[in-house]
Amino acid sequence: MFAESADAMELPKRTRNADDGELDVTPMIDVTFLLLAFFVVVSKMDPQANVPLPKASYGLAISEKETVTIILTVDESGKEPNIFLGTGMQEEELVPPGDEEDRQQLIADYVEKELTNNPSKNAVLIKAAGNCKTGMVEFVKKGVSKSTLATADDRKIYIGIEEEQ
Amino acid sequence: MTDEEHNPNEDPRPHESTAKFGLNEPTGQFQDLKDRLDRESELAGDENNFHDDNHPTDESDSLKYRNMGWKGIDDDDDDGGDDEDDNFMGGDKEPIPEDELDMTPMVDVTFLLLIFFMVTASFTIQKSLEQAHSKSDEPSTTPTEETEEPEDYVQILIDQTNTYYVTSRSLDEEECPSDSEMRSRVRDAFENEGAKRLIIVAHVESLHRKVVTAWDTGAINDASEIEIQTTEEDY
Repeated sequence: MFAESADAMELPKRTRNADDGELDVTPMIDVTFLLLAFFVVVSKMDPQANVPLPKASYGLAISEKETVTIILTVDESGKEPNIFLGTGMQEEELVPPGDEEDRQQLIADYVEKELTNNPSKNAVLIKAAGNCKTGMVEFVKKGVSKSTLATADDRKIYIGIEEEQ
Repeated sequence: MTDEEHNPNEDPRPHESTAKFGLNEPTGQFQDLKDRLDRESELAGDENNFHDDNHPTDESDSLKYRNMGWKGIDDDDDDGGDDEDDNFMGGDKEPIPEDELDMTPMVDVTFLLLIFFMVTASFTIQKSLEQAHSKSDEPSTTPTEETEEPEDYVQILIDQTNTYYVTSRSLDEEECPSDSEMRSRVRDAFENEGAKRLIIVAHVESLHRKVVTAWDTGAINDASEIEIQTTEEDY
């Protein structure tokens, strides 16, 4: 009985003999798998648009997966703005030129549709290039605000920036 | 106690602890060491009774592996890895029993995947500014009315040529051609004139970048509220 309790005290001491000359790699593999899983989850594979966002030192970190994204860029001449309803800057996401009211309605419909179809999305993110005109950004914001879902439940509009020191 | 102590077939650990925690405490350690030496010498002479899974060196073990279809052991070298001949092949690993999986290739692949994802990772985190919804479709055309009573706010006006004009309690529409001038002017207003809010009045033709810089200036100075108005009025 006495021997048994003493044995129990010895149990957690060492499970593997260290002098067998081999390093135990199990914890290292565990950590590596954790890192691997982290990077798989956190990285996104779809081609991402490279928008030259304006720089600011203070920005809220939000997850792009939880937002409806609208991209606003200016073409080479610096005159004609392009509004993309989506993250990929694809041709089919482009809002066609036309009447201002119609274009705003297109934006509102898109936001409405995305918010309805994806319950995880709860905000609108406008990624506007730094060389866009303020009027264009305002135009898009007004289009978003036309959607009743976008303004409901205290949903916010976020303007994408690039963080600088 | 003494009966069990010299039985080599028993698990030796309980006896170690018995010796350690026994009544003969002062001599316990030396007794323990002596016992272990005794046991080891006995075991060396009595190897066939010693069944240890970590040492597949004796006859029965290698026979067992061969019957299981394992081809890892050289038939001429049944006596295990203690031979000097084993060092002849420098890169040879110790053969692995069948019930243990060789983890090395899997770890290699995992590391490759890890490095790949680390290099290509572009995070889905986006830095952003939270702004209010636009309330009216009509852009305000009367922004200068606000400057009549500059109480606790600073107004930054951005005109169509992207020039800042800062209005605070003490100074009316001071022109700030560069970002840094505007920043220092606004900081002065926040720190010395007790300003709390920031109002940005931007011309529709001004650049989005300038508005974000003005917004950021307010954020740096802990403005309690930042408001954006757009105007089509030229200055």
